[in-house]
Amino acid sequence: MYVLHCSRQFVSQILSHNVLRGYTGVVRDACLISKARRSTTFLYRRYTCLVSQQLHPHLSAFYNGIRRYYADLHNEENVLKSDSPGKLLAQQDEYEMQSDSSQRNPQEDFNISVLVSLLRQENAADICVIKVPEDIKYTDYFIVVSGSSSRHLRAMALYAIKVYKYMKKDGDPHANIEGKDAEDWMCIDFGRMVVHFMLPETREVYELEKLWTLRSLDEQLSSIPVETLPEDFIYGADVNVTK
Amino acid sequence: MALISRSCSGFLAQLSSLTHHKAFSVSTAAAAIQKMTRVRVVDNSPLGSTPWHRSPRVIHVYTKNGVGKVGDRVLLAIKGGKKKALIVGHKMPGERMNPRFDSNNVVLIEDNGNPTGTRIKVPLPTHLRKMEGDYSKLLAIASRFV
Repeated sequence: MYVLHCSRQFVSQILSHNVLRGYTGVVRDACLISKARRSTTFLYRRYTCLVSQQLHPHLSAFYNGIRRYYADLHNEENVLKSDSPGKLLAQQDEYEMQSDSSQRNPQEDFNISVLVSLLRQENAADICVIKVPEDIKYTDYFIVVSGSSSRHLRAMALYAIKVYKYMKKDGDPHANIEGKDAEDWMCIDFGRMVVHFMLPETREVYELEKLWTLRSLDEQLSSIPVETLPEDFIYGADVNVTK
Repeated sequence: MALISRSCSGFLAQLSSLTHHKAFSVSTAAAAIQKMTRVRVVDNSPLGSTPWHRSPRVIHVYTKNGVGKVGDRVLLAIKGGKKKALIVGHKMPGERMNPRFDSNNVVLIEDNGNPTGTRIKVPLPTHLRKMEGDYSKLLAIASRFV
């Protein structure tokens, strides 16, 4: 993996060099192969990299050290999109091209704006984002979202998980859906954010937004009768009682 | 704890006279929550709040051994019926830096995992969040964390 990483850096240097020089080498589907171990499995190459020695003789020193790069594209669409002759692909595009399911996008992190935008994209109704203060050491953002049906909730939750899996970095914990067998309430804990997918009726019953904005002033909390001890209560006197 | 004391407040009056004899059997200190432990329901569900002549008891613990710790589901016999519940605190000391409660607290739960009550006034332990299981719903209706 370290070899891959190093070689990626080399490629970026090469390609950025190209951009600076203004060369229009046909760099199609630049790919990385690792050393012997993986080279046998990675034989999906379509085109070879045409950053050839004749264009950049001074870069050949780099080049010889790196061997050859082969494209590894699983997505047909990406091949079609990137297949424009004469176009130089920058490092940015290279990451986007490698968008098969085994690769991850480490460029952006999965923050609150990403989550809200994907919820909007999924036609989530009544998105309520509450910024939880630092004193409550639970989470930073508490999100409550309504859906039109239980299938809608499940679809939103699964899509959120999918996007998170794609965008998460190596140190982030996994996120799983809690309440999979409940039809009206599902939640996902993303660490800094917690999302609750509820049906509107369930939302009315629990009133989570009221609780998390009004914390101790919440009316449902205050309507719980205060538990008082009876007058003849002796602490520890019922320890040895069996009933 | 308050429920238990209320139900046997009459018993206590007799107890004060026979402080030195034990007319009843005493079992050894048991581990956390097991069958027949009396528990305290801490949410605002109507089932847990209305008085009954017998306190809610555990009749089954859904773990490999019959011992329930924080985060385990149990089956309660409450008001003449059965209800699933989740343990949110017990009197037995657990990990060093985890809170120990003075009563065996339990939150009622439906079969699909949704909590029966809508608010929990009693503080909940924060290590529930790190455990594997569906605890986010309970943490969402909790008011205090410990």
